[in-house]
Amino acid sequence: MTDVMIQANSLSKRFGSTRALDKVNFEVQRGEVVGFLGPNGAGKSTTMRILTCFIAPTTGSATVHGHDVFDNPLEVRQKIGYLPQRAPLYTNMNVWEYLRFAAEIRGIDKSEFKKQLRKVVEVCGLAQVLGKQIGTLSHGYRQRVGLGQALIHDPPILILDEPTSDLDPNEKAEVLKYIKEIGKERTILLSTHNLSEVEEACSRAIIVSKGRIVADGNLDQIRGKTGADRYEVTIDEKNAESDKAAPKTAEVEEALAAIGGCQRVKELNSDEQHHRFELSGSTDSDLRADIFRLAVDKGWTLLELKRDAASLDAVFRDLTRGDEKLDRGADWDAGDEDEYDDDDGDAEEESKELATESEE
Amino acid sequence: MSPLVTIAKREFRSYFDSPVAYVVICLSFLGLGLMVFAMGGAFWQADRATLVQMFAVVPKGLSVLVIPVVTMRLLAEERASGTLEMLITLPVKDSDVILGKYFGALGLVLTLLATTAIYPLAMFYKPWHLGALDWGPVSSAYLGLALFSAAAVAIGLLISTITDSQAVAFFLTFFTLGAIWWVGDVANGMEGAAGGVLRYISFSTRLDGFIRGLVDTRDIIYFLSVTALSLVVAFRALERRKWA
Repeated sequence: MTDVMIQANSLSKRFGSTRALDKVNFEVQRGEVVGFLGPNGAGKSTTMRILTCFIAPTTGSATVHGHDVFDNPLEVRQKIGYLPQRAPLYTNMNVWEYLRFAAEIRGIDKSEFKKQLRKVVEVCGLAQVLGKQIGTLSHGYRQRVGLGQALIHDPPILILDEPTSDLDPNEKAEVLKYIKEIGKERTILLSTHNLSEVEEACSRAIIVSKGRIVADGNLDQIRGKTGADRYEVTIDEKNAESDKAAPKTAEVEEALAAIGGCQRVKELNSDEQHHRFELSGSTDSDLRADIFRLAVDKGWTLLELKRDAASLDAVFRDLTRGDEKLDRGADWDAGDEDEYDDDDGDAEEESKELATESEE
Repeated sequence: MSPLVTIAKREFRSYFDSPVAYVVICLSFLGLGLMVFAMGGAFWQADRATLVQMFAVVPKGLSVLVIPVVTMRLLAEERASGTLEMLITLPVKDSDVILGKYFGALGLVLTLLATTAIYPLAMFYKPWHLGALDWGPVSSAYLGLALFSAAAVAIGLLISTITDSQAVAFFLTFFTLGAIWWVGDVANGMEGAAGGVLRYISFSTRLDGFIRGLVDTRDIIYFLSVTALSLVVAFRALERRKWA
């Protein structure tokens, strides 16, 4: 058996005149947890629907667990546990009935179902709601039921389409915990537009934008893509050393820009008390010492100084910004995104600072 | 158990999990009773041991009310709520989905149909014995109604497959079934080829024979053909999502 669990070969999908996917190539190896990242309408759901044989690609091919998605859809679906966006479940069934239904369709007999149910209930935390009607459950619980449904046949591959969208932060953390738990022994492809989730749960990320893959690799590689570090400096506006005048905004900006290795200075929203600036510098040099010395020389009060080791957030924005300009056919901008990817548009720009080093 | 049976079972049960089954069965029964026995006293005035009046009302009620209501949600609801994606990405064939839904809905309609047998049984068998009923035409009428339901439910399913909206599905089914029924009445006043064609496709002329006790294989084949054709088109319509 092959170790390549999911393979996409130049998948393209058109919806009318809109191109939803454009020659997408990637592979997922056994045991990998891969984050499939992109803004709303990037083609994440379309890719997943092709992999689960719900729709067919316009051109290109894909194999899942060695089976072609076009020729052997039933074999592919046997190997996959799939959670579509927003976990669409039959609301008038109770949780147990629903899981039983999924198991029955998958040809799991009663005793096997009992065994699996016990595992699924434990992993997904469903014990409290097993007898409840799905329509009465909170969204978090519905996601868990959807996850349970995807796990009931103990599949080697899981495809989860935005498993954490619409959840509150607590539920999000819970679902991520389950995914990490599940991911220990399975191959998972997980789509999201939330970067912190990828950092928490995945070892590798594929970033798609407007139907194309713009980055693919482990998180450090992707972080390295922009080749810039980000610094945040806060300087007191009112107080300087006794004999010196309080610094003016322009003065500070100029001085910071003059530091060797500084590529860009941007003022952040300052208040009456502080000057706040954002600097970017190349990854090979550390500007913190220079900034500190500058403040000492000028007699400014340095309140805060930190370096962001290239947040994935920044990389993501960098990679997916302005790609309307990419050649994607004249109709791209006019095309309605909802046509192929019914993301609900609540793009969460939840910035999470990682590997943050604060000093002084 | 095959996926087809599982889907059919779930579909049938889902009618009883929601108020649909109870509302449909209770109100249909009440309506039927009123139409046949209270309004105009048709049944009593005939003063004969026959159920022809009832069999005249049942298919009309099925056409314009029961079957549109039962079939409108079949795929339109799944499509609108997104559960179709969940269902189809389970290891099921598209044909399992269509046939499972079909048999689930047909099951409910046949259940309703079977309950109407209470009238002949109660009035002519036990506890009352209002006269010597000829059971031949009664059974042939039920056979005809079952075949008619099979065809009508298939048409309803097909319509539900091509739209996302339950309301649209209801009205389209209502008009389609109504039209196929009443073209028979229209045709009765017509001469020539046009009248012949209308009589040929009308459900009402096809059902007439069964109600009079005449089981004609041509009518059986007609209903079965309509059923098969509608199911095949529904299957194709469901498959179309892959390419659209």
